[in-house]
Amino acid sequence: MKRVANPFAESLVMGSKPQTIWGVPHSIWFFSMGIGGALFLNRALFGIDLGRVFGLIVADVLSIVLISFAGLVLISDLGKPFRFLRALMNPRTSWISIGAICDFVFLILDGLWLIADLEMGGQRPLAGLPWAGNSPLGIIFQVVAGVAAFIVIIYPGLVLAYSPSIPFWNTTLIPLQFLIFAFANAVGIALIFAFLVEVPRMLLMTWAVAEVLLLAVALLLFLAHLLNGAYSHPAAKVAVNRLIKGDLRLFFVWGALVGGLLVPLFLGIYGSLWANPGAGILLLALSGLISLPGNWFSKYAVIKAGTYAPFL
Amino acid sequence: MVIDLVRCVGCDACTVACQTENGTPQGIHYAPVFRREIGKYPQAKVVFVPTLCMHCENPACLKACPTSAISKRKKDGIVLVDQDKCCGTKACMAACPYGALHFYDHQSGMYGDTLTPPEEYWLQKFQVGTAQKCTFCAHRVDRGEKPACVVTCPTNCRIFGDLDDPQSEVSTLIRERSGTQARPEAGTNPSVYYLR
Repeated sequence: MKRVANPFAESLVMGSKPQTIWGVPHSIWFFSMGIGGALFLNRALFGIDLGRVFGLIVADVLSIVLISFAGLVLISDLGKPFRFLRALMNPRTSWISIGAICDFVFLILDGLWLIADLEMGGQRPLAGLPWAGNSPLGIIFQVVAGVAAFIVIIYPGLVLAYSPSIPFWNTTLIPLQFLIFAFANAVGIALIFAFLVEVPRMLLMTWAVAEVLLLAVALLLFLAHLLNGAYSHPAAKVAVNRLIKGDLRLFFVWGALVGGLLVPLFLGIYGSLWANPGAGILLLALSGLISLPGNWFSKYAVIKAGTYAPFL
Repeated sequence: MVIDLVRCVGCDACTVACQTENGTPQGIHYAPVFRREIGKYPQAKVVFVPTLCMHCENPACLKACPTSAISKRKKDGIVLVDQDKCCGTKACMAACPYGALHFYDHQSGMYGDTLTPPEEYWLQKFQVGTAQKCTFCAHRVDRGEKPACVVTCPTNCRIFGDLDDPQSEVSTLIRERSGTQARPEAGTNPSVYYLR
């Protein structure tokens, strides 16, 4: 078993060195947090609630499950998992700390609001709670949870972007990618639901257009990130080379760019234009489904491509 | 601290002295000496680059740490990790531009999991699952001594002193020989300067 981790000192030759400290758990963390936050915001802002399960709004249930799962993945990766509450101690400068606080705020406020919104047999037995529905306190809960959800989506990107050691990560394009891809996936999940549950055609087309636009913007952001990396710093260029023609090509080019963006984009456009509604919905649902692993591949590849710059 | 790259012969005495002084676990070297190849044959040469934590004025590790386990001493600017507070996110390792942070994730000694008496003694002060880094030999500095790597260097290439004192040897060397910091664009303002 490897006893220590310091990717920089693994070789005593000064040069660009790939980071090896973060990997699969962190990509799962980034991926789940993003989609969880975006599902909530899509429900709160655009009314995409995906129906109810056991009397609870599906979008909120999925949000809470995904964000809780991501938090547990992060905690399990800690060197001292039982000290995880200490991660709330430095919100002044640490994005992990800010994000952890927002995770808790979101889970508590949306959890409480969701419980108050429980529907059983056409009745809402907990509607009398002071924060239920659109009561003033309920609206405050929703707004604060919404702000927290937004931060939950972007803070993993900001953790990377505020890392001066790794030039490829050191760009605001990363939190933007995380944001756009998370919303694209959340709309994609709505399209999958639309395949299972009937949705008015007009609404479906609105979601399809949103999905196509978000995927197109995400694609542009990835291309901009590659260009920025190729021309900004030699260590970032090493990362770009690994992504487009090195060991991460399979994950990035085929998994993220082609599988996660181009193919879903094509399916989304084709599905929207399809004359037969049934087949069109299938293509749209496929577009949403395929973009999900694509998002994870993109996170994994960008994290693994992180390369320390030689410091002298 | 000032490190004179012209004087360093790459003997690794500083690395060994640091390990002896601090009893760091196997594989953790607070003061490694890197090699850098410059030029091409037939003008190629190797430059040795002694390193350690740069004890930055504006440490990226301190900012990234979510648990506030990393602090900067007011009296001398030494950056330290409090192992009792560290929860092992490795955010400091991702943030530090100088590779100065190490993650101690499994206790073992020279002969595997069975520790020798000296290893038992030394390793009890290192908590598994936490980040470790150079302390600038804070315990020695508090006694008025210089760090172990500085006193051991046979070529005197590591010079320790007060950067705030314009008359100190380190300030004079930086001024006269145009000392440079490592990766100044990272915005961390390291307290270690290199002379070329």
